[in-house]
Amino acid sequence: MEYLIHLAILFSIYAILGVSLNLVVGYTGLLSVTHAAFFGVGAYTTAIFLTKSDIGFFSSLIFGIVIAVVVSSLIGVVLSKFKGDYYALGTFGFNTIVFAIFLNWQNLTMGPLGISGIPKPELFGINFANNFNFLVLSFIFLFLVYFFSRFVVNSSFGRVLKAIREDEIAISVFGYNTLYFKLIIFVISSAMAAVAGSLFASYITFIDPSSFQLQESMFILVIIILGGLANLRGSLLGALFLILLPEILRFVGFPSGIEAQMRQVVYGIILILLMLYRPQGVIGEYKL
Amino acid sequence: MNILPQLILNSIIAGAIYFLVVLGFNLIYGATKFFNLAHGIMAAIGGYSVFYFSETLGVSIYVAIILGVAFAGFSGFALDKFIYLPLRRRKASNNVLFVASLGAMTSLQAIIAILFSSKFKMFPQNVTTQKLFTIFGGIITQTQLVILVSAVLVMLGLVILLYKTQFGKAVRAISEDEEMARIIGIDTNKIIGYVFFIGSAIAGFTGILVGFDVGIEPNMGLNLLLKGVIASIVGGIGNIYGGVLGAFLLGFVENLGIWKISGEWKDAISFALLIVFLIFRPRGIMNK
Repeated sequence: MEYLIHLAILFSIYAILGVSLNLVVGYTGLLSVTHAAFFGVGAYTTAIFLTKSDIGFFSSLIFGIVIAVVVSSLIGVVLSKFKGDYYALGTFGFNTIVFAIFLNWQNLTMGPLGISGIPKPELFGINFANNFNFLVLSFIFLFLVYFFSRFVVNSSFGRVLKAIREDEIAISVFGYNTLYFKLIIFVISSAMAAVAGSLFASYITFIDPSSFQLQESMFILVIIILGGLANLRGSLLGALFLILLPEILRFVGFPSGIEAQMRQVVYGIILILLMLYRPQGVIGEYKL
Repeated sequence: MNILPQLILNSIIAGAIYFLVVLGFNLIYGATKFFNLAHGIMAAIGGYSVFYFSETLGVSIYVAIILGVAFAGFSGFALDKFIYLPLRRRKASNNVLFVASLGAMTSLQAIIAILFSSKFKMFPQNVTTQKLFTIFGGIITQTQLVILVSAVLVMLGLVILLYKTQFGKAVRAISEDEEMARIIGIDTNKIIGYVFFIGSAIAGFTGILVGFDVGIEPNMGLNLLLKGVIASIVGGIGNIYGGVLGAFLLGFVENLGIWKISGEWKDAISFALLIVFLIFRPRGIMNK
C-alpha cells in the first residue's frame, strides 16, 4: 500500500510536468527539450530555502515559481524568435547550461553531492511527512495545473497558440504578435514545472544535479508524445504508463546493474516506434 | 611558465576534432535537412569497436581502426535504411525525424553502456606511452599531431569527392533540391544512404582519434555531437568552409575561456557561444 502511494505521488509529479510541457510542444508546436531545467529550478529553490532558512514550504514554492518565471522570460525572449529544429537545439543548449550551473555553483547547490535533509511541508498543523497527506497535496497541485491548462487551451489565447502551430506566418498576418504568445506559454509552462520541482524536492528529501539533465527532459518528452500531443488527458495517460513501466520491466527480470540503462533503451525504442507508426501518440490530436 | 602557447595548441586540436564532427554532420544535414542527433553516437561506436577488436579479440590495431570506421559507417547506413528512409517516404516533418534520432541516440548510448559499462576506458597506446613534440613552447602528443593531419586529409578527400566526382555532383544536387534531383533521374534514396555511410564513417574515425587522445566513454558521442552542432550553427550550417571557422572559433573560445574561468564551465561556455549566435546571427558566419 505504502508503495502504491509512492507511485501515485511520482505519477502526479510527472503528470504536472507532462501537462505543462504539452502546452508548449503539443499546443504551440515548439519542440522544447529543456523542461527538466525548470523542474530543477523549482527543486533547487525549495531545497535551498528549506535547508538554509525557515520560511516554510509554500513560500519556497512561490520563490521557485518567481525564479522560474524570470529565467524563462529571459531565455524565452531568445527562443521565441525560432521554431522547428532551431528551437529544439536552443532548448537543448539551455538545459546543458542550467545543468552545468547546478553542478558547478558549489556554494549554493553543493555540486555533485546534492542537497540532502530537505524537510517535508507543514501547513495549518497538518504534517505532510505522512505519505498519504503528501499524496493529497500533490493531487491538489495536479488538479490546479490540469484545470488551469485546460482553461488556457480552451480560451481565445489557446486558439492563437494552435494557429501558431499550424501556420505561424498566416496568424501573424492577422496582426497577432506570435513572439509574445510563444513567450507567454513558455513562461507559464516553466512556472508549472517549477511547482513539480518543489514537490519533488520535498518529497524525495534529497536532490542532486543528475535528476535534471537532458535525459530527464527527454523522459518528459516521451511521456507527452506517447500519451498524445495536444491532449491533456494523453499526458496523464503517458505519465501513468511510464511510471508503471519500470515496475513492469522488473518482472522481466533484468540484472539490477543494468536496469537504469535498460530503461533508457526502452524509452528510445518507444520514441522510434511512435515516430514510425503513430506520431500522434495514443490519443493525440496533433502530429509532430 | 607561459601557458598561452599551450592553450592555443589545445584550441587548435579541439578545433580539429570538432571540425571532423562538423564535416560529417553537415554532409548529412545538407542531404536530409534535419538535425541527426544520432550522429555523435557513431563516434562512440567507432571508438568502442576499436577497443573491442584490439583489446578483446586481439586484432592488430590498424585492422581494428579500419573495422571501427567501417562499423560506424554501416551503423549510420542502417539507421537511415530502417528508420529515416521509411519516415522520409512518408513525408514526415523534420520534428518527427529529430525525435526519432533522439530515440536512436538514447537507445544506442544505453546499449553501449550495457555492453562495455559506463566506465572510462583507455586504449593501450595512450598519452603515457606516446612521443611528445614541442612547438613554440607548447607540448603536443603524437596522437594530436595525427588528429591535425587527419582533419586536413579528410577535408581534402571530402572536397575532392564532392566537387570532382559524379557522386559528389549528385550529392550537391540533392542538397540543392531533392525533388528536382529525383526528377532528373538521380536515385536520391540510394545516394542519401551512401551519404549516411560516409558521414558516419568520418564520425567513427573521429571517435577513434578521441579514443587515442583521451580515452572513451559512452557519453562521448553526445558531447561530440553537441560541440559539432554548435560549431556548425556558428559557422553557418551546411557550409564546409563555415564549418572550419565555426569549429576553430569554438575550440578557441572554449580553451581560452577556461584560462580565466575554471574548467568545469567548458560546456556552459560553448552553449553561451551558441546562444549569442542565435541572438545576433542565427544563420552563422558564412551563410547569406
